[in-house]
Amino acid sequence: MELELKLLWGAIVAYVLAGVIAIFAVILKRRPERTVLGLMVVGLLLQTLSLGLRWLRLDHGPFITLFEILSSNVWSLTLIFSLAYWRFQAIRPVAAAVMPVLFILMGWLMLASPDEGHFPPTYRTPWLYIHIGLAKVFLGCVLVALGMAIVILLRPWPAAAERFARLPADQRLDDLAYRFMALGLVFDSLMLISGAIWAQDAWGRYWAWDPLETSSFVTWVLLAFTLHLRITYQTSPRTGSWMIVAVFLLAFVTFFGVPFVSTAPHKGAV
Amino acid sequence: MIAHINPVPAATIDQAPQASRWLTALGSLKLTLPALVLLALGVAVAYDRQGDGQATWPLVLPLSLLAVNLTAAVAGNRAFRRQVALLVFHLALLAIIVLITLGRLTYLRGAAEVVSGGEFEGLILRDAGPWHSGNLDAVRFGSEGFGIRYAPGLQREGTSNRVTWRDPGGLPRHADIGDQVPLVLHGYRFYTTHNKGFAPVFRWQPERGEPLRGSVHLPAYPLHDYAQEQRWQLPDGSQELWVMLKFTEVLLDPARHGEFRLPERHQLVVRAGDRRAELVPGERLALPGGTLVYEGLRTWMGYAVFYDWTMPWLLAACALAVSALAWHFRVKYFARPWREDA
Repeated sequence: MELELKLLWGAIVAYVLAGVIAIFAVILKRRPERTVLGLMVVGLLLQTLSLGLRWLRLDHGPFITLFEILSSNVWSLTLIFSLAYWRFQAIRPVAAAVMPVLFILMGWLMLASPDEGHFPPTYRTPWLYIHIGLAKVFLGCVLVALGMAIVILLRPWPAAAERFARLPADQRLDDLAYRFMALGLVFDSLMLISGAIWAQDAWGRYWAWDPLETSSFVTWVLLAFTLHLRITYQTSPRTGSWMIVAVFLLAFVTFFGVPFVSTAPHKGAV
Repeated sequence: MIAHINPVPAATIDQAPQASRWLTALGSLKLTLPALVLLALGVAVAYDRQGDGQATWPLVLPLSLLAVNLTAAVAGNRAFRRQVALLVFHLALLAIIVLITLGRLTYLRGAAEVVSGGEFEGLILRDAGPWHSGNLDAVRFGSEGFGIRYAPGLQREGTSNRVTWRDPGGLPRHADIGDQVPLVLHGYRFYTTHNKGFAPVFRWQPERGEPLRGSVHLPAYPLHDYAQEQRWQLPDGSQELWVMLKFTEVLLDPARHGEFRLPERHQLVVRAGDRRAELVPGERLALPGGTLVYEGLRTWMGYAVFYDWTMPWLLAACALAVSALAWHFRVKYFARPWREDA
């Protein structure tokens, strides 16, 4: 376990360095983008090794404890943001807004106990990987949109406007952010469907309004509301950004809050 | 030739645009937004009321409003109809709402317990929609026992339950059901649960009449480790007994891996009125009106039972909805690259 934790610490250091450099790059109007991308890739490689070693040792993936769930989400969110960072060069300064969000998860991860948990029989199904994989892609899409939303919301301040001047105009950012939100809706829908299939097999019902199901569905409704609102009223980038923040916050609570306060068997503890 | 044209009443001329205005208003996206807010509120109320079995009704109003809104949009909005993928997505959502409604009217959820070596004899708990018309009476299957492995800390690992039944041609069939794998007969799905325990089996020989067999389903084990007792009516209902299982060995050690099993030695304490006896398998107890024979100890398994004929159709509608949504976004967004220099 010691090597796993050392590798994880190495990954966190790489991520934090990438984030700090990204923030200072915006403040100092520099462009060390290759360094930031390189550090994120190094962090991802180290964390992949850490997760892989733990998987081999415990004979199950990082799906059970708070430590495992936070770690796997730090990995998946960083991976998805790194892909967006690599693909959309014009929005790279958005890293200065996204990385602090990931810092919250990393800080929480450092406080969580790395002890192992029980892998319940209801988790021994391919639907585990499908359901959780789709959920991670959904949250990753919303995180990328959130980065652009934060920039749009910061821009009315002259200091922020000056430092984010290199980024495209708000309307262009808003357009790209909503492309990611649209992609998020597709993956959120697939996540709900795969979860229902799994629940039917695991507990003999596809839907039962347990806290996690309810929270996930409300997140889907809010995402649908956000997309309809934008079409109906041609909302401004600022309004659209506030809606993205709301969707992300609700999704964040669904992912990292509800499973740990709920006593329902949605964690497989049956 | 003079054509005779019947004059159109003035009221009809006024009604046509008025109907169109109504259709436009009902199909407006401006109505979709409050309907979605109502749906979110309905979900919150449904979540709050699920314990009372009242989770359906708070969703009926918002879902009906969304269905009317969508139908009106399809009927009255040409631009909407031209976007085929978006139209298919919304129609699939409408189909999902209809299927869920039909499912709620015809579903069945229940619980059953079957003793090892015995047969399914009906539900002990039943919750069904008003239009449920499944053929549960035709369901016949037997349980041949089960195995459950435990990890340290009494964490349940895998469950495997051998069940037998006859197919429509009368041929005997068997299967191992358990986690993720239900038994499906006549559309009813039987899932093993964590609810299982010990079942002392008795033969009641009344002074007059045929002997009757019955079993006592003791409280779930190991959940109720220290409460292995139960009140039980004799199979002919003539009197009530109190039964308690006594054994000293540790069947499931919380510190080790283990497997659910019967105790190697045990006694059964039986109380009938003022009489008290401790029985081992094969022993008899004379009671007013007959003789009770303790045949031995078996296990019972609790099943969750579920019936909903709409499930495959729901899955198809969901697959269609997501495919259409992905297609719509591909056309709307991804076929048109986001230009960084725009």
